[in-house]
Amino acid sequence: MHILLRGRDIPNIKQLDVYEAHGGFDGLRKSLAMTPDQVIDVVKASGLRGRGGAGFPTGVKWSFIPQHEPIKYVTVNADESETGTFKDREIMEENPYQLIEGSLICAYAIQAKAVYIYLRGEFWDIGEQLDACIAALREENLVGENILGSGYDCEVYTHLGAGAYICGEESALLNSLEGYLGQPRVRPPFPAQKGGGLYKEATVVNNVETLANVPFIMTEGAPAFKAIGTEQSAGNKIYCVSGHVKRPGNYELPMGTTFRELLYEQAGGPLHDDRPFKAMLPSGGSGPIVPLTDEVLDTRMSYEDCAGIGTIIGSASIIIMDETVDMTWVASKVTKFFKHESCGKCTPCREGTYWLDKVIDRILDGRGTADDVKRIADVAENMAGTTLCALGDFAANPIIHTIRHFPDDFAQHVQA
Amino acid sequence: MSDTVTINIDGQNYEVAAGANLVDAAKWHAGNDIPVFCYHPKMDPVGMCRMCLVELGTPGRDRATGELLRNDDGSLQIRYFPKLQTACTTTVSDGMHIKTNTQQVIDARNDVLEFLLSSHPLDCPICDKGGECPLQNLTMRHGPQASRMYFEDKQLLEKHYPLGDLIFLDRERCIQCARCVRFQDEVVGDDVLAFHERGRRLQIITHSDPGFDTYFSGNTTDICPVGALTTADFRFGARPWELNEVPSISPWDAAGENISLSMRLDRDFGGKAMIKRVMPRQNEWVNEIWITDKARFGHHFTRAEDRLQQPQMRTGGTLRNSNWEAAIAAMAATLQGADGDVAAIAGSGMSNEDLWALRQLLEGVGAGRLGAWPPTHDAAPHLEQVGVGAGTNLSELGRGDAILVIACDLEEEVPIWRLRLKQAQDRGAYLVVANARDTRLEDFAVQGARNDKVVEGDAIRYAPGEAVSVMRDLQKAHPQIAERLSRAENLVIVAGAEGLSLAGSEALAAAAANFLIESGHTGSANNGLLSPLPGANGLGLHYLGFTPQTTLNIMQEPPRVLIVAQAELLDDDPAAQQWLSQVETIIYAGLFDDGISQRADFILPLQSFAERDGSFVNGERRVQRFYTAQGPMGQALPAWKLFGGISQNAGIANLKPSAAAVMLELSGSVAAFQGASYRALSRTERQFPDVGGRDLYYGGTAYTNHGGIGLQIPTAADRGADVQRRDMADVAELRAGEGELLIMPITRLYNRQRSFRPSLLVEQRILNPYALIHPDDAAAAGTIDGDLIEIVAGESKVRVRASVSSEIAAGGVALPRHLTDAAVPLSASVGTVSRVTDAVAVR
Amino acid sequence: MAIIGNPKYEQRIERHLAKYETKRSAVMPLLYIAQEEYGWVNSDGIGEVAQILNLDPTQVKSIAGFYTMYSEKPKGKYWLQVCTDLPCALQGADDFHAWLKDELGVDEGGTTDDGLFTVEHVMCLAACDKAPMLQCNFRYVEELDQNKMRQLLAKWRSEANGRG
Repeated sequence: MHILLRGRDIPNIKQLDVYEAHGGFDGLRKSLAMTPDQVIDVVKASGLRGRGGAGFPTGVKWSFIPQHEPIKYVTVNADESETGTFKDREIMEENPYQLIEGSLICAYAIQAKAVYIYLRGEFWDIGEQLDACIAALREENLVGENILGSGYDCEVYTHLGAGAYICGEESALLNSLEGYLGQPRVRPPFPAQKGGGLYKEATVVNNVETLANVPFIMTEGAPAFKAIGTEQSAGNKIYCVSGHVKRPGNYELPMGTTFRELLYEQAGGPLHDDRPFKAMLPSGGSGPIVPLTDEVLDTRMSYEDCAGIGTIIGSASIIIMDETVDMTWVASKVTKFFKHESCGKCTPCREGTYWLDKVIDRILDGRGTADDVKRIADVAENMAGTTLCALGDFAANPIIHTIRHFPDDFAQHVQA
Repeated sequence: MSDTVTINIDGQNYEVAAGANLVDAAKWHAGNDIPVFCYHPKMDPVGMCRMCLVELGTPGRDRATGELLRNDDGSLQIRYFPKLQTACTTTVSDGMHIKTNTQQVIDARNDVLEFLLSSHPLDCPICDKGGECPLQNLTMRHGPQASRMYFEDKQLLEKHYPLGDLIFLDRERCIQCARCVRFQDEVVGDDVLAFHERGRRLQIITHSDPGFDTYFSGNTTDICPVGALTTADFRFGARPWELNEVPSISPWDAAGENISLSMRLDRDFGGKAMIKRVMPRQNEWVNEIWITDKARFGHHFTRAEDRLQQPQMRTGGTLRNSNWEAAIAAMAATLQGADGDVAAIAGSGMSNEDLWALRQLLEGVGAGRLGAWPPTHDAAPHLEQVGVGAGTNLSELGRGDAILVIACDLEEEVPIWRLRLKQAQDRGAYLVVANARDTRLEDFAVQGARNDKVVEGDAIRYAPGEAVSVMRDLQKAHPQIAERLSRAENLVIVAGAEGLSLAGSEALAAAAANFLIESGHTGSANNGLLSPLPGANGLGLHYLGFTPQTTLNIMQEPPRVLIVAQAELLDDDPAAQQWLSQVETIIYAGLFDDGISQRADFILPLQSFAERDGSFVNGERRVQRFYTAQGPMGQALPAWKLFGGISQNAGIANLKPSAAAVMLELSGSVAAFQGASYRALSRTERQFPDVGGRDLYYGGTAYTNHGGIGLQIPTAADRGADVQRRDMADVAELRAGEGELLIMPITRLYNRQRSFRPSLLVEQRILNPYALIHPDDAAAAGTIDGDLIEIVAGESKVRVRASVSSEIAAGGVALPRHLTDAAVPLSASVGTVSRVTDAVAVR
Repeated sequence: MAIIGNPKYEQRIERHLAKYETKRSAVMPLLYIAQEEYGWVNSDGIGEVAQILNLDPTQVKSIAGFYTMYSEKPKGKYWLQVCTDLPCALQGADDFHAWLKDELGVDEGGTTDDGLFTVEHVMCLAACDKAPMLQCNFRYVEELDQNKMRQLLAKWRSEANGRG
């Protein structure tokens, strides 16, 4: 059963009447009948964790918002830019009202004045569709003043980015929304605190998929959600599978499903039957790469289990590479991505990504030395943990882990 | 004290100010220089360069009870962050522990240095910053021995990118710390610098028109932690280690900016010591670590070819070169033979020592009329009574405080005050700007200038000439504003003279004083009156008895012998030709000849501020001394020596051996200067932030104050005198009649005064002559924007371009001083405007 | 023409200004309008956006430079951005990108002599399961191969020529 990709089960659920006919906005109605604190408690009890990558408990995040502050905001992170991620796009294209409903429930729970949906710039047509949805909801008194007679007012707006991966980082996103460079902010103050959020007001920033889960939680109850998945990873997750599989695409499955189930049963196994899987990036370009061993394949896709194999589930953008793929080339590809996307604020990331890219190119070109391989590993180690946001770590990961797991792939390029 | 906390740095405990920044606290209290590039104590931290990473821990608490956790031995359990933290973005808290000397920290610093150097051109041997460069210094301490960063295609970027006329950017050297960007945004409030692109392509740009063009742009080169920003004035001019620093005071305006003259024996100046550049010298009460571009780049007049260099004397109707001995003897005879009918007019660039010597001379020949030049501002008597209280520091104004600025344009008159008051507003002070026209500061008062900043401010636009009644009747006409000002914890009023006669400027100051007295804002620090008196020593003139009222009296009843000292009467006063013609003998001492050599009987070359010792009293009544830096031009003398020499020759008093000796006598004779010996004036103290030390990375290349922070003259209110408000029932305001307008001379920082013109770099930024006129008045005069117009007021007749705009209230014309060759009226006057129909060009 | 006073944009600008707490927040949507009007983000557009938002033009230029979807140089009529990020590259996007440049006779970032096509590669566009793909003037075209691309190029060429 799909909780999120309901567009696959219900034709035309992107239309308001169809969405409502299938229980749409019941979650919001139910929430409006509760106190904001009660709504937060339900979400806390559901065990929902942020789907943007970090996996922070959603209800806890909401509870950080100081209730006494007069102005608060919700910002929806729809900047979906992680390499290999395309799940939020399908939610917003095929089931847009569910995202808006989830956002409104969140807004009510923290008593926000408005919701801003920050879309990556390329999603301009999704933005237009969402704008049309918001207009339709306004007609139905589901957005705007005194929503459904509850006395609660909330506006919903869309905002288009313009091509910057870093704006998926919540404080950079807020800067961008305020019309500044999309560079991360110094924390504290955190977005949830006065002074740290949008327009310096307390703000919840949640990923699209996270919020799209909330209507289900409110209508079906926290226990129903918690019953899905594993102990520490509740609910369904959308896994974006790309690369060398027969059927790339989005798969919504309970958390805790094994990689083997996903990659073989759902995605159809290796693209070419004679070329077995070699490696996997389970969380796009930013998470540690792992060799696709049997141990890995039998690992459950959950926050807790992935830690056991030295990687993360993150946003679950699962990129599969078969045995023909040279991991030096993968390191180069991912490094070029981070070099291009480094905002330039912190020295180690700005200079390090540039340096890494240069030296990997040299290695790939056959002009590198064994020292170069050691050097890039060292440079990557120096970047990790020293930057304002996680991009410095993300950029270090592909180098550190490709060299760790696939030293021969590098050795073949260099003179002894 | 409860407002301190204890932090532990590398195993040792320190009491530090609560709320302090960790980098600041470690430096101030522990002498621990945490290395930084992007952090600057005058700006908000951004945590970009990552150089200041430290191990950071705080006392652990039990989650359930909130109790502090303790180790077995009873000591507090310190929980360290798993990752290193940037000290610059950390505020100290009680019990905080940091480690700055562990291998992890040392490695992190070395790594950041290595990253920075990977893109750096390493062109130190030809870099202006070399020798005083934070990057160079920190590389010596933390940098790698050899580069591991050898790839063939090192980035090649622009080396000489002009951000404006004055500042060049070397894009290869830039380390993207954003100090210059943040200075323009946070400190100046003019965000004309920004980053462009991202990642390694991130570069500083300006896309403004004109480009990087503010009165403070040079400060960015001081705080730039590398040699990326250089000034067009100094670049490639000398190496820092060749320079000898001499403490001085900016000669331009009432701020009294503390500066340092960087001297070198230079072949361009005949091998003599020459000013190669002007740098800020820290004085947190006065200019902090900032100086205006005028102070920085305007020094060229001190070596101008057209400086007076030789004493001249008129004999047989002809002015001829003479020598000091003969000229002094002749003047002594002339003065003694004048039957006491002698007067003096002294300019506001004269030092206290000069003024004292001049006054002694006049008194010695039985004369008493001492005039101050220019006679435009008469606020000094009120500043003496209720000027800002002793210990005032504009940097302390903030939330809960208020500032009223009326009838002046501080951006143009005293830019440093504008800078500091704008920052006071940023800190939450309520700023009210009242004028008959728009000024830069008003932009901040009403809208924070830009960027939707929420600001505490108001603007009052009054009809030309009405400043005094606006101030007097503030309670009635603007009750809400008056209420907020009255209720403010601290209140500073800045009262100028724009649009006012000399008497009007006195009345405005009196009305402002009344307000301060009534609301109880006198006699304590950060409260009281300020006035942008022209020149560097407007208040020195006052305290030594030279007044603008006397000047008017001299103009009306010219004496037989007039001594004109460093006052360019003909440039400033359209009527001067006329009234000077009634003077029998003119003794002129100055730096430049404004045409008075046609009339004068003695022309005597004086030394500039750079050539001699002396002292000025700034607008906040701070007596500050400056030191001899540059060799004299020709035979020029310091004025005290000239006038003292005449006195000695005339048997009035012995010539003092030094300026210090003059000051010693002066301080014993004039109450205001009590205790102001040179020794006292050169006293310094440790100032926060601790800039200019060995570690140039912390605060930039501003200089530590070794020349003295000066001594503030207390006001009457400070001394506990019972200052009384004055009855203001009758105020004579200037009124224009039918067909007339109020011609209001205004001040522009960059103008064609003789002392400014030689600084060619800045000279090109002087505006063409113009006058600001309201559209209704322009229509009545049959003129449109850009027309050549003639403005006639009294003896003044000038031709300028009309700038038609509603930035000025109807009924007045703002006419900048010193943009045209012809003098504009000294003070506001009633006059007429007409369109010029004959096609005579103006310059 | 211009943005300011252009009835085409009046309502859109108003709507964007109304959305945010500060004028500055509207800088990104207004830069899109400037790009739409002038074909790229030129100095005129930056000046107008700055004027509308009461910003210094430097600030607007800075924003235009940070984000890659604003072009600070003129582009071809069809701005083709091929995703060559890892997932697409695993599906042959690098070869496809090289082929396309070859087919059009341009270098990376270059524009064809007739001014019709600009080709460049970009990072992940969130269409990894439909590689190779590109966006043409920000419109996604997915599951491409050489044949399909040739047909598209022909279609765009005739579209452009048809309009003259």
